Amino acid sequence: MGALAAAIAVGLGALGAGVGNGLIVSRTVEGIARQPELKGQLQTTMFIGVGLVEAMPIIAVVIALMVM
Amino acid sequence: MSQFEKMTARQRKWMFYLLAIFVLGAGFTPYPRIFLGLLLGSIVSFYNLYLLQKKIVDFTDAAANKTPTRGIGTVSRFAAAALAIIIALRMEENFHIIAVLIGLMTSYLVIMIDFALYNIKHSSKKEG
Repeated sequence: MGALAAAIAVGLGALGAGVGNGLIVSRTVEGIARQPELKGQLQTTMFIGVGLVEAMPIIAVVIALMVM
Repeated sequence: MSQFEKMTARQRKWMFYLLAIFVLGAGFTPYPRIFLGLLLGSIVSFYNLYLLQKKIVDFTDAAANKTPTRGIGTVSRFAAAALAIIIALRMEENFHIIAVLIGLMTSYLVIMIDFALYNIKHSSKKEG
């Protein structure tokens, strides 16, 4: 049962991170393709967005390994 | 130096300060297990931060130059966090597991606090 719980925790965490990262990256690429001169500003926004999105699945990975 | 490069330099500087504090704590306080856990977690967190910064620069450069690129390294970062936790679980007598978890979140705290301070500083400059 522990392995099942770990799999569900990591799977759902990764699903959320995948959707979030996909949205952020697609908008950033769109913005850079339209206005390449705004690359620095978009880099900063993307960095903070991806960083915050990935915090939660990392906690999920940690909790999954602890319950296993 | 672009805004992004300045931000990454500031974040690395704060991470180095935190690592120095954790090393001092592990060496000179009566709680070496907790500080070693924090140290392990924040070293992996620093690696994750470095990887995130590098991958985002590579990715956005590729997007601007319209060259093909690979991912942004999400799996590598998860794997690094899992490695830290496995090390902590295998050597439980040396590393406190909750401290490792808190250490893993260090870089995210640094990102958030740095961004908030930068925004406050620049909004007050615009007003003043």
